[in-house]
Amino acid sequence: MATAARQRNDQTRQRQEQRHPRNQRQTVQKQQEKTQRSYDFTLLFLTVFLSCFGLVMIYSSSTYIAETTKGSADYFVKRQGLAIIVGTIAMLFISVNFDYRIFLKPLGKIQFHHISKFFPFRGVNLAGLFYLFAIALQVYTLFFGVELNGARRWISLGPLGTVQPSEITKVAVIIAFANLIYNAPKRLNRWTGFCLAAFCMAPVIALIGKENMSTMLVIAGIIFIMGFVASRKKMYFIVIGMFAVAGAVAMILFGWRKSRWEIWRDLENTTIEGAFQIKQGLYAIASGGLFGTGLGESMQKLGFVPEAYNDMIFTVICEELGLVGATAVILLFFLIIFRIFRIAMNTRDLFGSLICTGVMTHIAIQVIMNVLVVTNSIPSTGIPLPFISYGGSSVIFLLMEMGIVLNISRNLGHS
Amino acid sequence: MKTHSRRSLMVVLAGIVMLLCLTIGRLSYLMIGRAKHYAQQIQDVHERERSIKAERGVIYDRNGVVLAANRPVCTISVIYSQMTDREKVIEILSKELSIGEEVVRKRVEKVSSREKIKSNVDKSIGDKIREYGLDGVVIDEDYKRYYPYHELASKVLGFTGADNQGIIGLEVYYDSTLMGTDGKILTLTNARGVEIENKAEHRQEPIAGTSLYTSLDVNIQQYAQQACEKVLKAKNAKRVSMIVMDPRQGEILAMVNVPEFDLNEPYTLTMETEKELTEQERSDLLNTMWRNFCISDTYEPGSAFKVITATAALEANAVNEGSQFYCPGYKKVEDRIIHCHKRAGHGAETFLDGIKNSCNPVFMEIGERTGIKNLYKTFRKLGLFSKTGIDVPGESSSIMHKEENVGAVELATISFGQSFQITPMQLITGISTVINGGTKVTPHFGIRTESPDGETISVLEYEEIKDCIASSVSETMKYALEQVVATGSGNKAYLEGFRIGGKTATSEKLPRKSGKYISSFVGFAPANDPKVVAIVMIDEPEGVYYGGTIATPVVAEVYANILPYLGIKQEIQDTGEKKSTIEE
Repeated sequence: MATAARQRNDQTRQRQEQRHPRNQRQTVQKQQEKTQRSYDFTLLFLTVFLSCFGLVMIYSSSTYIAETTKGSADYFVKRQGLAIIVGTIAMLFISVNFDYRIFLKPLGKIQFHHISKFFPFRGVNLAGLFYLFAIALQVYTLFFGVELNGARRWISLGPLGTVQPSEITKVAVIIAFANLIYNAPKRLNRWTGFCLAAFCMAPVIALIGKENMSTMLVIAGIIFIMGFVASRKKMYFIVIGMFAVAGAVAMILFGWRKSRWEIWRDLENTTIEGAFQIKQGLYAIASGGLFGTGLGESMQKLGFVPEAYNDMIFTVICEELGLVGATAVILLFFLIIFRIFRIAMNTRDLFGSLICTGVMTHIAIQVIMNVLVVTNSIPSTGIPLPFISYGGSSVIFLLMEMGIVLNISRNLGHS
Repeated sequence: MKTHSRRSLMVVLAGIVMLLCLTIGRLSYLMIGRAKHYAQQIQDVHERERSIKAERGVIYDRNGVVLAANRPVCTISVIYSQMTDREKVIEILSKELSIGEEVVRKRVEKVSSREKIKSNVDKSIGDKIREYGLDGVVIDEDYKRYYPYHELASKVLGFTGADNQGIIGLEVYYDSTLMGTDGKILTLTNARGVEIENKAEHRQEPIAGTSLYTSLDVNIQQYAQQACEKVLKAKNAKRVSMIVMDPRQGEILAMVNVPEFDLNEPYTLTMETEKELTEQERSDLLNTMWRNFCISDTYEPGSAFKVITATAALEANAVNEGSQFYCPGYKKVEDRIIHCHKRAGHGAETFLDGIKNSCNPVFMEIGERTGIKNLYKTFRKLGLFSKTGIDVPGESSSIMHKEENVGAVELATISFGQSFQITPMQLITGISTVINGGTKVTPHFGIRTESPDGETISVLEYEEIKDCIASSVSETMKYALEQVVATGSGNKAYLEGFRIGGKTATSEKLPRKSGKYISSFVGFAPANDPKVVAIVMIDEPEGVYYGGTIATPVVAEVYANILPYLGIKQEIQDTGEKKSTIEE
């Protein structure tokens, strides 16, 4: 009840501000003071630092492969460096020049909730449009995407290279789902509302799940955690969680992705083709020891670990920097996660707080799954390590997400 | 954010922290706990092993003359991915190695990690190619076995295969001694097998093989081979074999099997063939060519075996020097009449006359008087039922009657060396025991092994069994056999001033009446204290085939050369007047 009242207050004040420009100016001044005070520079620094560290590791892990397959040693570093620069500029731009609440702004006058009280969106706002755009991109990818390594996951941008729309979808899902909850926070406490929310997010999961199992898992995880945080009815999520476990068991029993399961169970003796990559990754990790072989000294990156700069980059980090370095990297991730957590906790705005929850979950799931996969703790699935693995789309959209989080951080304590 | 949401978010964070701790725990386990487990597997993946061939031990004769040595050679290969100028590589390699350009091109342009162009290239050519400094051309040094005397004692020495392992002869028997231990260069490579520069190289130096000193004497071997080749040609024989041995301890001074083959070209057939050979035929012919007949083939020893029969009889006290016999030209055994080679008969003879005349009826009588039990007892002592234990592979066993199956006819034929088979090596070893005072020796080539820096590693020892026969019997036999050469059937072995003993033999090959014979002679010197014993066997001679006529002069010729060489002095002694009768 208290929150509802506060919300009403917010709206009243906004209306007042619109009516009194002078007042508004004062508020802006006030906000700027607060911005300077609460803009999370620590998070900004951590993000940029981790991206640059990633660049160094890509340089170390890709030179051999770049030289032998692309003809120039810095092929991958150059491309990733460019992506990081573009992403950082976008991040800074987003974090300063917008109010993230722009996503909530209704577009036009059509108010869908007048038509049906069950429709989750109050009207088509930027968040909704973004979500629809992401779905459209996924559908487009399904039919016209570029196929690489047997999966259709990329869209060609002509001379600009390719983009992976699922990275855009992750951002869109976080914003759209936050928007969905924000517009009716209590909906998730009811069975019908819960199903409705699930129904709204289902198309993305279905579309991505067809071509990209691991991204689907990440997105489902994000939605799950965001819902879990927002809802009072934890039972729904326990039931969903149990369904997910049952689904995984069924998958194993019916032999879907059987080879990956078998590789995981008996890596040492299996002769299944895919085992090579995981085995070589394990060799890299195991040869790291406490302090590693030293930066640039990895043996396994010399063609033994396939695409060492990609999903398997953590193995090279382990080999070159040792357990100490690998733990430091994981701690860095934890610091980022913790800073986002702090922003989520301290933002009074539910929308911002939910976005932070989504971004935090996104990073956490990918870090944990990536490390568990390369250590053969879970059956293998291709998940990049955030900020570090090679991949322009991944790093640009992650940095943009961070831009939104930084933007939210400006409004800490804002009431 | 509502309180319940904040609480949920903290739960989520706690979950994330837990999972992150789990990943760190898992990493610690892999990187610390399992490091050793994976280390070996990693080593195997990263290291490429290149072996450095160990130099094989040298084989010397008794005076330190090299019989088998090593020559440095090169193997030329190309690595496809490392070649920068393929045309130049093709041009230079085909020029230097004198291989057709097309052949080289095919190998150079084949996409493989390493393609061998030619092996066993002379080191000088390898060095020359190295000087061009061609990228992607690898020159590996290696050793190839080299036999400076080519054909000399080929079937005894044997040769080695491509992997430097012995194939026949001493090279096989002493393989583990001669072989040495290959060294290794372990280099770190990337996934394509390309060596990584600046990474530590583990190098394990090769250990050269141990050298072997043999009892062979190059000079004696050469004399023997020449003599054998001469008679081979003169009698157009199938083959001629000869063993020269020191009867005192069994050291073999020479072992000849002509035709020999060139050890440096062991796969080149020496015999002429008319038609195209199948693989199988070719391999059979090669095996025949490599066969050491002295030890691998058995034959009926014939009259030379009478030495053993006489020894057994003396051992059993069945006869003595003065025992009287009568030869009517045949002897009736059960329902059979077995003739003497002199159909007219030798008439009355003493034991000594019987040996001198090589009279079959006398020996049938001796055998009968001795009995099969005593005969076999001596045979056994002289090693006719077992292998001699000579240190070359492929020794055959004798083919003897079972004692309980020997009837009067078998006993009679055994007595003059027929109806059973032994190897020439067994015969000469048995005779050595008879003439050396009764010590059964193990014939052998290997004397001692020496490390590459000239230190003796071990002196090889062989089994000797003393007093197999009484020394008095030995004395009697030596005297009798000296008489054979001095005045009997072996008179063509007589050498002025030397005391030589011996026994001739002519064995008709099976099947009988095929007209194929093996003529042989066993001779030793000096007769009173033998220091050398020799056997020669002429297989399928044409024309005159009597051992006393064709085999005996071969030994005489060899002895004429080697007795002075061995330091055996001429003794001025009247050995009685020579008789020219050729008897068998």
